[in-house]
Amino acid sequence: MLLFNQLETYLYVALVLFFIGLYGVLARRNLIAILISVELILNAASLNFMAFNRFLAPHPAVGQVIALFIMAVAAAEAAIALSIIIAVYRKLKSVNVEQATELRG
Amino acid sequence: MNVLLFGPELFYLGMALVLFFFSLQRRVQVERTYWAALGLAAAGFVVALYCLFQNGEIFFRAYKVDLFSQIFKAALALGLFLVMMISRNLAHIEPRYHAEFFFFLTTCTLGMMMLVSSVELLTIYVALELSSYSLYILVPLRKGDGLDVEAGIKYLFIGAVSSGFMLFGLGYIFGATHSTYLSEIIPRMPELLASPIGLVGLLLTLAGLFFKLSVFPFHFWAPDVYQGGANQVVTFIATASKAAAVAVILRLAMLGAKYGYSFTQALVVLSIVSMTLGNLVAIIQKDFKRMLAYSSIAHAGYVLIGVITFQELGYASAVYYALAYLVMNFTVFMVLSEVATDGQDLKIEELAGLYSRSPLLTMSLILGIFALAGVPPSIGFTGKLLLFTSAMNEGYFWLVLIGAVNGTVSLYYYLKVVYAAYFLEPRQGPLQLSWPTKALNWTLCSAILVFGVFPDGLVELARTAVRMVL
Repeated sequence: MLLFNQLETYLYVALVLFFIGLYGVLARRNLIAILISVELILNAASLNFMAFNRFLAPHPAVGQVIALFIMAVAAAEAAIALSIIIAVYRKLKSVNVEQATELRG
Repeated sequence: MNVLLFGPELFYLGMALVLFFFSLQRRVQVERTYWAALGLAAAGFVVALYCLFQNGEIFFRAYKVDLFSQIFKAALALGLFLVMMISRNLAHIEPRYHAEFFFFLTTCTLGMMMLVSSVELLTIYVALELSSYSLYILVPLRKGDGLDVEAGIKYLFIGAVSSGFMLFGLGYIFGATHSTYLSEIIPRMPELLASPIGLVGLLLTLAGLFFKLSVFPFHFWAPDVYQGGANQVVTFIATASKAAAVAVILRLAMLGAKYGYSFTQALVVLSIVSMTLGNLVAIIQKDFKRMLAYSSIAHAGYVLIGVITFQELGYASAVYYALAYLVMNFTVFMVLSEVATDGQDLKIEELAGLYSRSPLLTMSLILGIFALAGVPPSIGFTGKLLLFTSAMNEGYFWLVLIGAVNGTVSLYYYLKVVYAAYFLEPRQGPLQLSWPTKALNWTLCSAILVFGVFPDGLVELARTAVRMVL
């Protein structure tokens, strides 16, 4: 059985991608890097949908449609995130999360 | 297809379009924009009420219109209207952004209305993101010292990560059941009892909604966003958005009803941690909105008690509590934004002597606070009573005990507010209220008392509604 023709392979890759993204969100200090990590999480989810769609789903289009929707929604999200990051940069002169620690308690 | 089935959503879509054109205007007309938005919001509430008893399925069964969804749509429309009522004086938002402020409130309401009707995984996700993205933009719209963008960026990233969790979970549910329709997924869930994939998928899916409801461990945004956002935006997040979250959690939690012990146990732990953490941290807060944020985390824990039962009474009491929470929390926030005339963040001690500054606002504040604390005969007491009774019937003795202890703990910080309002010397002069605000005060106070003493009608409605979900 070929490795690339198995559902498990893709699920493991997605899981690894998910945890890389999660690690990035928690560990990185740069807002842009965090945004990229969030995109990794979303891509992991897309990969999941595509894998399940390819190997299991009775209807072959469902997972692909969902993956397309995820891309569109992720693009909107990136636009909003980048615009807020620019606003952060204008006010704090930095895109580092350590500068944004006024709110506490 | 009957247009009335999609009536409220269509109305709010049109309303968003009108407000969008207002935002394009070169000359800023603050008054006209406000009255247009308020009038449309009032009309929207009427439309939502008119469509209350619609029934049917549209968009290839992805969208279910039943009493359950329509009740929440009416509540959301009411929430938007109430927030518009207190948005007359938007001191912390630049005049040229007022139209956009109303526009995003409307799209958020639209997203949440679609959310409560969605019964298909992708629809749920897209509707959830429509409402979330509007809120992500609303939070940093406040002008000022950088606190707003900081709150906005935290809100966005925590929200994005939890919706990533949710998508990942939806993927597993889709993979395990081969369907994206809730009606097809629910009968297939028991087959997955032996494998963890369904349970993991379900818990990850609920993560995205727990973020909206600010349940532990997705509560971190709440205090910062409450403090950093403009008062009116926070009011909307704290009232309407919570009600929508409860509605979807009730729908999705049904997927786990057959799982029994493991799934319920996970929810029990989240509920207990949420209410304990919320109540304990709220005690040390000085900022009024921050305190209310922690209290909202605690209340999210209470609502989960109703979800855990998976019974008609528990679900109905969760619906009742969500509606009650909308009214009582709004009352407190209305007082807050009336007292903070220039839109500033209010410290609890700044409520000093509110009793002599404005007796009417003080009455609303006390009723709202007592309702949040669960003092009879308010609507909050009845809600808690129903929640605890339903959990008791299912044998969750410890959960109810911890909930009751938490209710007592919460009295301490709620009474601190009352203490400030009554026993501290006022530092500022009397507050002037316009007549619509006075009318709003009286209406809210009577609603808190009337539905607290005579809850039967509302509870009966909620019970009929949840039968559609169970």
